[in-house]
Amino acid sequence: MSARALLAAAALLLAGCGRTPQAPDQPKEEATQQAAPEASAPSSGSPKTTITLYFPSATDDRLVTETREIMDTARPAERGTQVLVELLAGPKGKDALPALPEGTTLRQLWIGRGGVAWADFSDELVTGLKGGSSDELLAVYSVVDSLTQNVPQITRVGLLVGGRERDTLAGHVDIRNPLPANAKLAPQPSPTTE
Amino acid sequence: MSLPRWTLAAIAAALSAVSAADPVSVRIAADTGGASTRLVLTFSRSMSCATSEAQGKLRISCPEPILPDSATRTLDDPILTGWATEGDRTLVLSLGGGYRRADTFELSNPARLVLDLQGDRGGRAASGVRTPAATLPVVVLDPGHGGVETGAIGASGLEEKDVTLDLARRVKPLLERQGLTVVLTRDEDRVMPLDDRTAIANQNRAELFVSIHVNASKRKSAVGAETYFLSTDATDVEARTLAALENKAYAPPDQTSTPAAGAPDKGLELILWDLAQNSYLAESSRLAELVQREMNSLAGTKDRGVRQAPFRVLMGATMPAILVEAAFISNPQEESRLADAAAKDKIADAIARAIVAYRRDVASAGTH
Repeated sequence: MSARALLAAAALLLAGCGRTPQAPDQPKEEATQQAAPEASAPSSGSPKTTITLYFPSATDDRLVTETREIMDTARPAERGTQVLVELLAGPKGKDALPALPEGTTLRQLWIGRGGVAWADFSDELVTGLKGGSSDELLAVYSVVDSLTQNVPQITRVGLLVGGRERDTLAGHVDIRNPLPANAKLAPQPSPTTE
Repeated sequence: MSLPRWTLAAIAAALSAVSAADPVSVRIAADTGGASTRLVLTFSRSMSCATSEAQGKLRISCPEPILPDSATRTLDDPILTGWATEGDRTLVLSLGGGYRRADTFELSNPARLVLDLQGDRGGRAASGVRTPAATLPVVVLDPGHGGVETGAIGASGLEEKDVTLDLARRVKPLLERQGLTVVLTRDEDRVMPLDDRTAIANQNRAELFVSIHVNASKRKSAVGAETYFLSTDATDVEARTLAALENKAYAPPDQTSTPAAGAPDKGLELILWDLAQNSYLAESSRLAELVQREMNSLAGTKDRGVRQAPFRVLMGATMPAILVEAAFISNPQEESRLADAAAKDKIADAIARAIVAYRRDVASAGTH
């Protein structure tokens, strides 16, 4: 048997086991937006669920959280898309600042293999950033942390701009490869002020 | 992802069945763009090959038959002029007149043999690179941004790219007075790709790489100095390998037709360059601490500490490398400091003192 055929067999095993339900609302991480049409179609009147968004703090150089209600869905790409749409809509409290530049929109989000989500934003994400590494770090990790903390199937996040990959958004943070959550920027229990 | 155990066992069995059969296919990639010539052999399964050198040839002898994707190749490179197979288990590299020695190491997932062929490219060094005097140790200073990439802009119109170049030019003579050769990655107002900045340090065999920046925040109250060294967030071998394999021949046949036609397609050999800084993290951390300590000694500078981030410019540096954010140009008071010659001299002096202290530490530890 050729190597290719054996690998194909292994891949089929993987795919097959994806249909073995392990948890009712945790489809395989290999699922993409287009994949798994048998998975539940979004139905109107779906139950709501609470998510936690990460925004730059208004008082220090970390991230702060705000919660939102979104439509519950079993499809990770749909859940991730709702997370980013809420993040782009901006903060509601005065403790938080907008995560991404004004006018930035989400073009597409999909989930590839290995728990990697690819989030493709409009050009404003680059043209609207003012150039400091602090702002750039917080912009990148508001997206990465919001997705990884709310969608269990996502372990890393790759950022694209206008459908293309970039080295950095503003000259500092390497976004050529998907990034994991950054615990060091996570909110502190008792935030300090400057 | 939690797979039932039998599935993993079945996959493992399938994969080991593969290894008993066909020859090991080998993808060969040569990178002649760096200071050394790097050859990466990616094997379709794990294998340890021995290397031996004699009479201008470097032999890579493997325990099993191999099937290279390019069995014969000629290169226009003074260090490595080409390769050819010999029998079904040996690859023979032809070494050029510029060749000096080879450093080899192995990586897994996927299995790779990496050869760094050290040597001399003669007049082929990249433009802008100054060949240092033979024995003087080299420090590379990297003024952040440049040209149309202004970096952050202060309320009064002061631009980061001008401040960083000014600071680097002030640090330079202070270090030269200490007997060091100092190379600036740019000594004029122009765009300089991030890769080229690190390449200049590598090609000059620099002892240290210090990238100089000033910070900006939407919060006007943000002030202070901080020093970064690389975090390994973006250099996780497993994750990067996965990303690299997304559309690669070595990946299993894809069951999902992702809409990710534009998904990044990365060469593993490029990823390897990015891992270069990982072996210097301890030294980079020490250098960052010393720079931050000296920055903190400046009157009125808030200590934001030593931090780690996946900064692009630090990746691929084959020496201790740090990035210092000297102050916030977005804060009006700090912006006026960055416009003041005396204040800039103090910042430059702090950076130079830290570099000198680091080199003294290393010398006294006898590790250099």
